[in-house]
Amino acid sequence: MACEGSVTSAAVVTLPGKRGISYAPEVASPSPQLAALGSLDDAVLVRRIIAAAPAVDGQAEAELCRRFGPRVRLYGLKHLRDPAAAADLVQDVLMLTLQRLRAGRVREPERIVSFMLGTCRQMVIDLRRGQNRRQRLLETFAGDVPISEFAPAPPLDAERLRPCLERLTERERTVVLMSFYDGRSAAEVARELQLSTANVRVIRHRSLRRLRGCLDGGDSTEDSS
Amino acid sequence: MIDAACKTPLTDAQLLEYWLDGVAADAEDVLEEHVFACDRCARRLEEIVGLADAVRQIVRSGGTVAVLTRAFVERLRQDGVRVREYRVEPGEGVNCTITPEDDLVVSRLRAPLEGVARLDVVVHDPGERGPVRLQDVPFDPGAAEIFVAPLAASLRRLGTVVQRMELIAVDDSRERQLGVYTFNHTPYAR
Repeated sequence: MACEGSVTSAAVVTLPGKRGISYAPEVASPSPQLAALGSLDDAVLVRRIIAAAPAVDGQAEAELCRRFGPRVRLYGLKHLRDPAAAADLVQDVLMLTLQRLRAGRVREPERIVSFMLGTCRQMVIDLRRGQNRRQRLLETFAGDVPISEFAPAPPLDAERLRPCLERLTERERTVVLMSFYDGRSAAEVARELQLSTANVRVIRHRSLRRLRGCLDGGDSTEDSS
Repeated sequence: MIDAACKTPLTDAQLLEYWLDGVAADAEDVLEEHVFACDRCARRLEEIVGLADAVRQIVRSGGTVAVLTRAFVERLRQDGVRVREYRVEPGEGVNCTITPEDDLVVSRLRAPLEGVARLDVVVHDPGERGPVRLQDVPFDPGAAEIFVAPLAASLRRLGTVVQRMELIAVDDSRERQLGVYTFNHTPYAR
């Protein structure tokens, strides 16, 4: 499995071993070839990978991983709420997708997004049912795909965020902390603070705008909602 | 080129609802399909996820002044955050400190909050700034208490000082003091 074209000097995940998946959440300065690949339509990119089989178009595969890795990770975080499990999901989904592409088993390249999202959904369902699809995959491709070390996207520096949080109103700050600390819904936060759910949604939304403005160096006191 | 497909980017409100609120299954599928196909929206969602990570880090280290709820403080404890708590009745005082083992200190201020429309907290801190007024803090009127978490780093810098907090109810531009709470702080000595 060779999705290993490094597209940036930083934040690249490269599987140890002779073959592996590299995934760069943030592309700092892609090579001209990869920059060109980045402008390709998904279906065109996928057709390139299919057309190369049984050879491997490493650059096209790397671009596919770069493009979809972060989204698979988001899906994993949303549904598994565990960074390590999300990282495993990224590897498994990319691995299975590339395997299918090389084998010519993805018949509608223009539907690659649906294919990958469907794969995410199925794998998460399997996980919840306690079926260890990952183990089966690893057994099937034993020796071909080593276990991944997954590096998440560069984190937001808490020290950068702190002064921005302090510029929120007390109510906004409390809602932000309670919402984001452990992923509480607006209804749950509203219940604890004796506010309406709609009010919490408004405060949450306004706070996000103000935090973004502050982090971007703008005026965090601006109410742009 | 995925970004070109994003003719109707999701709003922040939609992304927040998707990530935090658990929307209905049909709506979730639609949002999910959009995020999966759209580089731009996926990146914005990643920003929200990154923000949540940073918030967790700040909360767990007592990195911001905040007014919290009892349930939230309990969740922090369950997550392994070491919380030192001082419960104080109106007009009373307490001897307090912060130890190297503490992540967070919480002042649990008791007060009759029924019927209060707006609540302010005034922190009288002789050691650093002058009085700081936290305006319109969130509270549960039925709880008869609020939880104030000062900045842990500031507490660690304090010498032996007396701090006071004051709860003030604000109704129709009139102010009514609900209680004064005294914290006799001494630096931790092992």
